Amino acid sequence: MNLKNSPLLLIIPLFFIAAADIRISGSNHAEYWVFVDKELDTSNYKEHLEDKLKLSVNYGDITLKGVLFLWSPSLSVQEKLNYLDYAAIYSKDAVNILYGTYYTTFGRGLALNAFLDEDFRIDNSLYGVKVDFKYLGSQLTLLSGEPRCIFFEENKYKIKNEEHTSDQIRGINFNTKLIPKTTLGSRYVRINQTTDLTPKAFTELFGGDIDFTIGPFDAYFEYARQWGSDDVIGGRVRGDGILFTTSFATPGLGISCQFMDYNDIGFGNPGYRYNEPPTPIKSGISVNRGLDEVGYGVSFIVSPLDFLTLELDHNKISTHDETVNKFKEIATISDNMDGVLEHVAKMTIYTTYDLEINGGVERVLKQGIELPIEKKIETKPNIELTYNFGSFFIETGYEHNFISSDTSDYYDHAAFFSIGKPELFVFTLRYERRNRIPEWLVEKYGDETAWPLAELSLDLTHRHNLRIRVGAEKGGLICSGGVCRFEEPLRGVKAVLTSIF
Amino acid sequence: MKKLLLIPILILYLSAQEIDFNVAPDFNLIDIDGNTVYLDSLLETGPVFISFWALWCTMCIKELDAIRPYYDELDSIGVNFLAISEDKMRSVPQVKPFARSKKWQYTVLLDPENMMRDLYNVRTMPTSFIIEQNKNIIFIHQGYKPGDEEIIVNKLYELVMKEFGHESEE
Repeated sequence: MNLKNSPLLLIIPLFFIAAADIRISGSNHAEYWVFVDKELDTSNYKEHLEDKLKLSVNYGDITLKGVLFLWSPSLSVQEKLNYLDYAAIYSKDAVNILYGTYYTTFGRGLALNAFLDEDFRIDNSLYGVKVDFKYLGSQLTLLSGEPRCIFFEENKYKIKNEEHTSDQIRGINFNTKLIPKTTLGSRYVRINQTTDLTPKAFTELFGGDIDFTIGPFDAYFEYARQWGSDDVIGGRVRGDGILFTTSFATPGLGISCQFMDYNDIGFGNPGYRYNEPPTPIKSGISVNRGLDEVGYGVSFIVSPLDFLTLELDHNKISTHDETVNKFKEIATISDNMDGVLEHVAKMTIYTTYDLEINGGVERVLKQGIELPIEKKIETKPNIELTYNFGSFFIETGYEHNFISSDTSDYYDHAAFFSIGKPELFVFTLRYERRNRIPEWLVEKYGDETAWPLAELSLDLTHRHNLRIRVGAEKGGLICSGGVCRFEEPLRGVKAVLTSIF
Repeated sequence: MKKLLLIPILILYLSAQEIDFNVAPDFNLIDIDGNTVYLDSLLETGPVFISFWALWCTMCIKELDAIRPYYDELDSIGVNFLAISEDKMRSVPQVKPFARSKKWQYTVLLDPENMMRDLYNVRTMPTSFIIEQNKNIIFIHQGYKPGDEEIIVNKLYELVMKEFGHESEE
């Protein structure tokens, strides 16, 4: 524990003085895994133990927050990660002042995006000071902080920006709603890096946005520009990015469209970004995180009848290709591009109160994304049924995944069955098989062709849930918000205890 | 490392002081139509049901779909429904079309920086809360299984009956 963590321990005891007015809440998330490592024989196991305790103490206008994280893997991993984050917040009337660890996004993330995604295990935080001032429908934010990005990959937590945790980020963001039905925003972010080779050891990201809403119609446009330094080769980098989204929403119908064009707006190193521009792909894949990307998305959701919902999505993102015309560059993926083209069709039918049917097809084309494979097309039809009987329910489903890659075609198929009782338990059995293994997969994921899995979720009380999972997980590429990782295949036991208090 | 032990010890100590752990933290958030919603204002009119959801969370959407048939009746007796979207900024444009297409009448709030998730210590999605008018959290429910909606709705009816009965006695 370093010195920056000590103020929390000093301040908390002060609250005992006026204990009667203190409000405390918190949560705890503990996980323990025992699994067979693919590089070890079956008599050797690895372990993974992690615990995240969050505590929030409020007294009048002051709130103190603490997060204690402990990760203790098997000794063979020879790495561990423990940290104590804290934040002290003073909030009264129009002013909010924070000192400590925080997350914030300017606009939709083209200029600055410090975020926490606990489901995906990415913690992209800033440590420093943030001041918000709200007045007459306007908000001004001033911040200064040092970045830290913790990311889970290859079954390990890593600080992805280990060489940049002392970088300084200063920013100002202003939003106003003074014009009816319109929100205007503007921002400036400056990043000072000591590792830059040039005298101009800083990067500037700045831009603005306009959001216009009238009745069911909404439109948003954001522009950002980078005047930056390249910390790898030195020198200045110039880039820009635009994002346009629009939606139309009435009861029973929702349509949304988006378009983005990023040229060197993504700033950071290959594993870490200070900003994180959005991707249109529902499964969260991006090509190179704002460095060279053009894409669009169209989504259509309709519930024509009370018992029926239909959802259609058509999304694409790729690198630029100057050899084709602009329309083709936006709409298609040429041979010169890396990219993702995604089509999703889903249908939900509530036949009676007790029976729900979900079905759909998803088709994803990936080019240059899952190396060493150049091109991969996955087509996934699936169906799920949920049926209530008495105080129990059962759920069952089947999905088939036809995979066509450069040199080989194969398929995965999976079936599952769940039974549960509300507020008590859910027991799930899942079995997945692969018909054959292409050579390129063996090195990455091993030679497994079957993944049986059993999971029991128990509500111990309203505030405590225990999940135990036994069996095998296939692994693969998973993504969230443009950040991707290869989830390692896993064969073993996982126990997760979640508590809130 | 020994200092880290202070945290659980402090929790135990504070627990022993009989401090109320169940008071709902104040908040104000923007809804999908751009209006600011204050918890305090809602509690003046009746109890509040909060459900944390996201576009990617199938079980959250199932829970909100399952509660929808009870909305009109509970709304008419003063229950306020808040569906807080935990979708990140990149997904915000899809939240309003999705909620409208689902014909949800709940007040759908946006929390792209997940401040509410942190404030209410939500560790599992969906997690729902029932807050009575004196700001006490009287019910927390993690996850969703078919049939859970009846438990939630019954709790809301119980609460409304209790508060109605209390007012009658006065």
